[in-house]
Amino acid sequence: MSNPATRATPVVRPATGLIPSRVPGSSGGGFFRSRVVQIVGLGLVLILGLALPYLGTNSFTLSLSSTILIAAILASSVNFLVGEGGMASLGHGAIAGAAAYGAGFASKQGWDVGMQVLLALGITLVVSFVYGILSMRTSGIYFLMVTLAVGMLIFGLASKYSTVTNGDTGIANIARPEFLGEYWQYYYFVFGMFVIATAILWVVTRSPFGASLRGIRDSESRMRSLGYSVSWYKVGAFMISGFIAGLAGLLAVWHTHFVSPTSAGVERSIFAIVMVILGGVGTLLGPLIGAAIVVLIENVLSSYVDRWQLVLGLVFILVILFLRAGVAGSIAKLVRRIRGRTTRPPGGSAPPPGAEPAPIRNHTARKETA
Amino acid sequence: MFTPVFIGQQLLNGLSFGATLFLLASGLTLVFGLMRIVNMAHGAFYMLGGYLGIVVSALSGNLLVGLIAAIAVVGVLAFFVEFVLLRFVRGQELPEVLLTIGVSFVVADICLWIFGGDPQQLPADVRPQGAFTIGDFTYPWYGVFVIGVALLVGIALAVVQSKTRVGAIVRAGVDDREMISAMGVNIRWVFTGMFIVGAALAAIAGTIGAGRTPILQGVQNEVLLYALVVIIIGGLGSIAGAAVGSIAIGLIDVFAKTWIPEFAYFTVFLPMALVLVIRPQGLFGKAA
Repeated sequence: MSNPATRATPVVRPATGLIPSRVPGSSGGGFFRSRVVQIVGLGLVLILGLALPYLGTNSFTLSLSSTILIAAILASSVNFLVGEGGMASLGHGAIAGAAAYGAGFASKQGWDVGMQVLLALGITLVVSFVYGILSMRTSGIYFLMVTLAVGMLIFGLASKYSTVTNGDTGIANIARPEFLGEYWQYYYFVFGMFVIATAILWVVTRSPFGASLRGIRDSESRMRSLGYSVSWYKVGAFMISGFIAGLAGLLAVWHTHFVSPTSAGVERSIFAIVMVILGGVGTLLGPLIGAAIVVLIENVLSSYVDRWQLVLGLVFILVILFLRAGVAGSIAKLVRRIRGRTTRPPGGSAPPPGAEPAPIRNHTARKETA
Repeated sequence: MFTPVFIGQQLLNGLSFGATLFLLASGLTLVFGLMRIVNMAHGAFYMLGGYLGIVVSALSGNLLVGLIAAIAVVGVLAFFVEFVLLRFVRGQELPEVLLTIGVSFVVADICLWIFGGDPQQLPADVRPQGAFTIGDFTYPWYGVFVIGVALLVGIALAVVQSKTRVGAIVRAGVDDREMISAMGVNIRWVFTGMFIVGAALAAIAGTIGAGRTPILQGVQNEVLLYALVVIIIGGLGSIAGAAVGSIAIGLIDVFAKTWIPEFAYFTVFLPMALVLVIRPQGLFGKAA
């Protein structure tokens, strides 16, 4: 994920400390080759995704793959906000939950699928706008808190406002469109949606809007003095991210035909951010990798080991301590380091400037937010 | 529903819930004020403290022994988390928060492993029993006991913070940590100490709170969210703010659950959202 906008200006380390500095390898050809590696990775995912139903998989593995892809879409929406905007949200699970409740309510009223989609996405947009308005003046830890609080509001409504939401029982038997009835049809649909969502976020990231967002992430005051309306850029970013999260919520409710307050709970938001960190903040395929790890630990490992949450927690702690760039980010780093070694004369094994992440210990980081 | 007796009882219920919240939130707010860490494992410390308090006081037949055991074990755990884990990510907001989320996962699952999934409550014979009666009005002594403990702890914290040398160091650290380290105070040990004190307060809250509401899986997130609401309303880092926020949220929650149960959560989180929008630093917080 190299970008001309960030290349032109010196990269200021954001105070959040998780966003990798994205200066592309500046030694000859490194930029081009890292693009090749990325395209090969994308192609592999695409081919594997399309071929999966023909690889002797059964309905369980395909359904599990759908779960992974849906989780990956939610994680992508969080990833966009953290990676480009420097805003770590603990409320995205609730946006997805709100969308799911929209579809559920339509289904409960006996309305058709079109109304389900309309209501789900409409609620998503309204909810994302509320999130954005409430959080636009905050950043860092305070942003985290606001999103957590709004998420809890939604969870509270879902759990207690039982005349609409059926309370803790939830809404069951939510049908998906008939042409998606078979599990493999639905898998392809979810896969297509994942590709589209990733493409949308990629385009937004590469657009002038995305560049401005990164500018705000790196220095809010600088962008403000340049005449940018920082608050409204943040609201816009939240709306885009929230829309993708709502899509994930709708897909999830069509997948399981069921929605309950758990779908809007804080655990789901935490899991989403865990996936982003595991995969690598600001990487294109990181959310997919992170989602695969978390969902597999939750669904597969849990049938062998009782203590899967313990394992997940330990994996998460270890990643934060030792693998800050996440899986995708660390692979990219490794590729660059190997190439740095081969393109240099023996002896000078130092990686090219910019290939290393910015120093991890940054004691002054917090002063920027204070 | 609206008789004076009922309202009086609800008032005391709200106050004793607020007292538990204060024990919990004061630790969270102290740690945030000094170290700028939102400790998401605080709820897990509460849960672990609650379980240990229940088990040990049931074995020994003495609430105080259970309390000390809970403080000791949770304190050692907090020392490990601060001294070994948080050192790696010092000074970076997001990794610090996420690390404590990971710790919360691990602690909660270990609790499930050791103590099982059934709700557990402080055994009746170790806690103050009976109820006091004024005319029609009766109220269990335990609720009064909880309020008393919170008052004691609150006064102790305020006295230590404003009258002693340790308190002065902490206050100086909150204001300017570079300056206090330049003056020869090892701020790292102050951090470690404060983290342990914060966790110990969570353990006290867990043990005492286990007499009001049972400890079970999931309680760690619920109490953490209440504590976050309290300290955000009161202002991050402020003991007085934590006290005011706890009482307000305790009362709001109890009354809302009786009168408008459909919006019970809403009534707690709406004030927080409003405070964040109108006065982001909280009622008693200093401007960031």
